[in-house]
Amino acid sequence: MERSWVLFATPLRGLRRSILWWCIGIAALIAVTVAVWPAFRGSSGISEAIDQLPAGVIQALGLQDFGTPAGFLRGNLYELFVPLLLACATVAFVNGQTAGEEANGRLELFLAQPVSRAALFLGRALAAAVALALTVATVLVVQVAANRAFGLTIEMSRLLTTIALCGLLAALHGALAYAVAGARARPPLVLAVGIGVAVLGYVIAALFPLSDVLEPWQSVSPWEWAFGGDPLVNGAEAWRYLALLLPTIGLVLLGTILVTRRDVAAAA
Amino acid sequence: MGEQVVVVEGLTKRYGPVEGVRDLDFEVRPGEVLGFLGPNGAGKSTTIRCLLGLLRPSAGRIRAFGMDVTDHGVDIRRRIAYVPGELRLPERMTGHELVRAVGAMRGGFDASRRDELADRLRAELRRPLRDLSTGNRRKIALLLAFAAHADLLVLDEPTSGLDPLMQHEFLGLVREAVAGGATVLLSSHVLSEIQRASDRVIVLGSGRIVATGTVDELRSRARQRIEIWFEQQPPVQALAAVPGLEDCAVDGNRFSATLAGPIQPLLQMLAGQQVASMLVEEPDLEEAFLGLYGEAA
Repeated sequence: MERSWVLFATPLRGLRRSILWWCIGIAALIAVTVAVWPAFRGSSGISEAIDQLPAGVIQALGLQDFGTPAGFLRGNLYELFVPLLLACATVAFVNGQTAGEEANGRLELFLAQPVSRAALFLGRALAAAVALALTVATVLVVQVAANRAFGLTIEMSRLLTTIALCGLLAALHGALAYAVAGARARPPLVLAVGIGVAVLGYVIAALFPLSDVLEPWQSVSPWEWAFGGDPLVNGAEAWRYLALLLPTIGLVLLGTILVTRRDVAAAA
Repeated sequence: MGEQVVVVEGLTKRYGPVEGVRDLDFEVRPGEVLGFLGPNGAGKSTTIRCLLGLLRPSAGRIRAFGMDVTDHGVDIRRRIAYVPGELRLPERMTGHELVRAVGAMRGGFDASRRDELADRLRAELRRPLRDLSTGNRRKIALLLAFAAHADLLVLDEPTSGLDPLMQHEFLGLVREAVAGGATVLLSSHVLSEIQRASDRVIVLGSGRIVATGTVDELRSRARQRIEIWFEQQPPVQALAAVPGLEDCAVDGNRFSATLAGPIQPLLQMLAGQQVASMLVEEPDLEEAFLGLYGEAA
């Protein structure tokens, strides 16, 4: 029991500082954004200005109903910034505790102990998952507190749904980073694939609907699976959670299998 | 003599087109201290990392305690303690935290043994590992290895960065471990370290075994650098006839050469000469290897 615990607790401990900074950054973004809400609520000028834009652009940037609480949160935070930052944080958590540590030679001493490589890496995946959960919890707490403070009223279940989907989307990209780290102990590659796929997914979900030819392809983007139903307004169907969760589990298994089938990198 | 502790058969490890080690065959016998000697890049760490299951052999196999390394890595590592040559420790942890973590992975260290080792090695356990010097980190790695009560200690360059006092303490720990029934695989590029601790030596060069034997056997085969100052011109012809003298050079009354093999014939020849002074250098490891490479080629 203690053996399993230490495989999880050691990397989580290594993530403490990283978790703290990501939480502070995302919390500050949320607080500052919501602080602007009272100005929007009072004036219809900005909403009218947005209405002048072409419908496709409004859709692409998530600016529809910008004057409503749900529209405001979607356009400013949950269309792009919060999910992207959570995905980047998770990719960074995973990379730091797998490829990063391995490439520095810091896993060698642990891997020479009587623990399996799969268990050691799974412990690290779990630590990154808990780090993500803590960051998501911070997002929720700060969002609720900021809403109260600045008088932004939104249905709690819709907010929970949206933040949960953000967390699952981030977990999917973290799992992708983990699979890459399982294949190769190359931190720049892990970061590039994890964050690159997140950005690409956003671009596909946001811009493909502008083109009749590309529009059908927007469904390849995990962002579309997560937010295609406008969860802040409508909530989300069960399949959206599963569409994010199942590939996440699959990628973690893949990464774990791959890492047991290759050499451990020597200290650079 | 029971079963061999480690049996390596035809071990080859390729990194892409580069061969780390090629077709190695050797065994580690119970209760011995086997020295693994060779310059950097000779394949010592590659072999050790294959033994620990960190690298997958390209060909051949390694058995430890009668089990195949590829299939029984965890069971084998339960009986092995390892000090990595390229020692990188988690930076933010303190020594205490690392000892606790590794102890947990091994099912717990005996607290009194841990404290005794910390005391003998003067290990700094309270400070974060990133604040420690190379030598002080090495002490913590040694503490972890000797606290494990392992059947096989695999020590890769274990004394690099240690002061002479600690090197002495280290040798004591090795002797105690062997007296307690452990077997030791000691890898180093420093001949004197191997010489003091090992029963038997395997010399690696360019990924192949170039020599095996006791330290004394290897020393007798190593080349020594000789310098002789004569009272008059050196007797070049007589010197050239001495077996084993090579690379002879004369500079005024000074004669220099390398000697491979016993020194007796040279001393006999010099007995009838007017020798002012003579210098025989300890066999330098590099030169020893050059000699052994010559034999292997």
